[in-house]
Amino acid sequence: MVNLTIDDKQVTAPRTATIYEAAKQNGIKIPILCHDKKLKPFGACRMCLVEVEQMKGRQIPACTTPVTEGMIIRTSTPDIVKARKMVLELLLLNHPLDCPVCDKSGDCDLQNLTYEYKVNSNRFKDEKFNHSIDYNNPLIERDMNRCVLCGKCARICDEIVSYGALTFIDRGIETKIGCEFDDGLNCEFCGSCISVCPVGSLLARPFKHKARFWAMTKHTSVCGYCGTGCNLTLGVKDNKVLTTIYDEDQGFHKGQLCVRGRFGYQFINSAQRLTKPLVRKNGRLTESTWEEAFEVVVGRLKGGSAVAALATARLTNEELSLFKKLLVENVGTKNFDHAGGYAHTALTEGFARSFGASASPANILDIQKSDLLLVIKTDSYETHPVVGFEINMAVKNKGVKLAIVSDKRGKLSKLPDATTLVHLPGTEIAVLNAIAKILLDEKLVDASAVAGFAELEKALAGFDVESVAALTGLRAADIKQLATDYAAAEKALIIFPIGQAYPGHNADLASATANLAILTGKYGKEGCGVLCLSEKNNSQGAVDMGFYAQDGGLNGLAILDACADGSVKTLFVAGENPLTSYPDRSKVKAALEAVEFLIVSELFLTETAAMADVVLPVCSFAEKDGTFTSTDRRVQYFKAAIRKNVQIKSDFEIFSELIKRLGGQAPSSPSLQFSDIAAKTSGYAGLSHVSLRKDGAFASVEISPALVVPQAVTAVCAEQGKLALVTGSTLYHNGTLSQYGEGPMHVCPEGYIEVSRTDAAAYKIAENDLVTVSSTTGTIQLKAKVTPRMPAGVVFSPYHFSETPINTIWSGAPVTLVTLAK
Amino acid sequence: MSDAVAQKAEEQEPVIDLSIADTVIDKYINIPGNLMPVLQGVQDEYGYIPRVVADHIAERLNVYPSQIYGVLTFYSQFHLKPRGKFIIRVCVGTACHVQGATRIVDTFFDKLHIGHAETSPDLRYTFEKVACLGACGMAPLAMVNDSTYGAMTVQKVEEIVADYNQRPLK
Repeated sequence: MVNLTIDDKQVTAPRTATIYEAAKQNGIKIPILCHDKKLKPFGACRMCLVEVEQMKGRQIPACTTPVTEGMIIRTSTPDIVKARKMVLELLLLNHPLDCPVCDKSGDCDLQNLTYEYKVNSNRFKDEKFNHSIDYNNPLIERDMNRCVLCGKCARICDEIVSYGALTFIDRGIETKIGCEFDDGLNCEFCGSCISVCPVGSLLARPFKHKARFWAMTKHTSVCGYCGTGCNLTLGVKDNKVLTTIYDEDQGFHKGQLCVRGRFGYQFINSAQRLTKPLVRKNGRLTESTWEEAFEVVVGRLKGGSAVAALATARLTNEELSLFKKLLVENVGTKNFDHAGGYAHTALTEGFARSFGASASPANILDIQKSDLLLVIKTDSYETHPVVGFEINMAVKNKGVKLAIVSDKRGKLSKLPDATTLVHLPGTEIAVLNAIAKILLDEKLVDASAVAGFAELEKALAGFDVESVAALTGLRAADIKQLATDYAAAEKALIIFPIGQAYPGHNADLASATANLAILTGKYGKEGCGVLCLSEKNNSQGAVDMGFYAQDGGLNGLAILDACADGSVKTLFVAGENPLTSYPDRSKVKAALEAVEFLIVSELFLTETAAMADVVLPVCSFAEKDGTFTSTDRRVQYFKAAIRKNVQIKSDFEIFSELIKRLGGQAPSSPSLQFSDIAAKTSGYAGLSHVSLRKDGAFASVEISPALVVPQAVTAVCAEQGKLALVTGSTLYHNGTLSQYGEGPMHVCPEGYIEVSRTDAAAYKIAENDLVTVSSTTGTIQLKAKVTPRMPAGVVFSPYHFSETPINTIWSGAPVTLVTLAK
Repeated sequence: MSDAVAQKAEEQEPVIDLSIADTVIDKYINIPGNLMPVLQGVQDEYGYIPRVVADHIAERLNVYPSQIYGVLTFYSQFHLKPRGKFIIRVCVGTACHVQGATRIVDTFFDKLHIGHAETSPDLRYTFEKVACLGACGMAPLAMVNDSTYGAMTVQKVEEIVADYNQRPLK
């Protein structure tokens, strides 16, 4: 710490602080335009000029100058105020001053500073800018006439997002922010540039002219897409969610959001939302009353084990635990599950066996504290973009090493000094086993005391690096290097995504990763462990609530089989859309047609809901209270941001009512239900809605390590004339819900198939060509994307789309052999 | 894709042999700070930096395409459009100006039918006015590629143009 004087106040600040930071920490405000606490100091705008006595009263920028012992600083002398005023005059010189029609008005740093410094005239005269406005994409509008060249957009796009869409182009007076060859913006549309823009140069187009900033109420919430657990501030007016608002102090991610979080909110106020219960009469779904719907549903739920349920992991912890209570205590069935019954096995079986807990023994904050990140599949960036930002920052700012074991390259592979081991699809477990074997053979570790060591050592005999190299298409030297690096790193973290499109990321993969962490002792401490990135906003919560098949209950896929063979007669689907998201569409369809009675609670009339006998309209996350548990087990409380339509009910209200009608006792509010959860769930003890109000809390994870032999089933991924299809998530979508978000659908409206350049040349496929993809289960037409990231012989397709459902050709295997035809 | 982007794509040069760029890139690939020498080397080969080459460099060097464009537009010595085989530079610095450089410039405009920083459609000439060529004793001064022509007159402009019109383009 150093001692210094700012505006006659004696203060102390860390040695690494800049004058701006020292002042801020001590409650002294210095105006800024180009500075952002998340970005490296830049010193472009000169608004933060201060006088330092030791520098003979020279005016120096506070945001780039480090503090030194005994510094005497003045932040607002008449000279400084004069200088800042002139800076503003110069910035306003070419600015169009179109505040009345600018959406930034009211939240604009330039406007606020102009007001604060009373710049009511300008001594200079010049022409206004005359740049054309970029309307090239549907999400981000770029009006460079309003730009003050602070460079924050270009810097955040480089330093945090690592996309680099924007940069300074041209020189001198001509300088502006632009894209390559001055094209329109065409990027991944995370909107980080919008969030940091201090003026109205970068604006969200879906929000254009929707509301004045000050007319909206701001509600904090938790994002309802992936499991990262990002916090949101929703801008609400007239009971409508109109936009997401940036708050740089919000959440571990400091307000950073991805395209889904920032632009995917439109489903909340979509006109397509269901508003009334629907009951099938004479073969048609007709609008009905809740009384009638409840009566029909209650009658069907008295079926004991002939009743089964599938719930989405987007429901709150309170809803999932109450649903489980309804099913177990009042209906009397063990047949319930989520995410197909297989997408959560990495946690419920893999980690449960290896770490003795169905949760990741690491959290997202460990990423930046680690020394080496081992990422399985580059898809981690696409499934969890904000986790991807953390990886970007770790690698670029902290010098963390990054190794990727993946079936394709990706954005993460482009990070500085990242090594990517591109293996044949479906062979990642073999690679991990080979690494484990090297650790043992080279005596890099001593873990003989850990339970299961002898069995593992024996089982690894077949995984010598040479044969694994031959099997996976990797070089033995690369695998060896990775093993040595992993063993040598003081702290290392393994990251892999799970989800319904990643059937290969199962219990065995989880155990294979866990073995590495356990063998080297890299778990249970800062920057170490294994982080499994779960797919939905409350996937970890669904596991914690025990909403999956246990004690002989049928799992997700088995439930559908039982529907088909008639042993399950009533199926209650709460928010899932198995017809699109479960493997083997024709099988799912047959099962849903076969089941006697189908109840669906949904926001929208999805294709699954359209097959139902009763459809119950429910609330989105913005219309209810509850908690979500993020992938790293951060339990976060959120309140309703808007009032729900009086005609719809939350899942919580539905389950409560059904419990009552079946003669049981239901808690009257989600917070009471949460007290019950806190009492019963391991790691949740002591938590309550009140204690979670600010920032949430991590539910603790107790680890008891054991080495488990993972089954390395190697998929066949080569056959003459066929290509290996791997499924997954695309950056712009999450599950099937994002199909109802206008933002994600604007930039990625349909499914596609990603083809390597080699294969594209061989099959004479050009970008956007319609390609017929066939497997043994079916045929589908998809648009082609030709990318350099795919290895030859491997194709990729995302699974989210009802219009182009990939499950027509995919029956749940990690790798599917397909043929392509134009 | 917007119309502007589509139009730009159409303007793309038809066939660019990327292997020429690859030869240059291979030479510098493992050297830190290799972007400038690669861009200079590539420009020497193609005469300018075609967009496909810029994109190719971005991919091979793992640099953002936008960053490359930023560099290309910052330095006036990089060219994004094809340049003429003969680059005519006429000095309009103080000494040359006093000696009547304006008339020399105007005569070139008349004879070549192109203005400042423009290239003739047949890619024979690019014409540039420059601030000083550093040989004021020879004012007014003109250069064609590396050949220097001192004490320029209108008559000499006509002779130079006639001379270079005769030279083969290939």
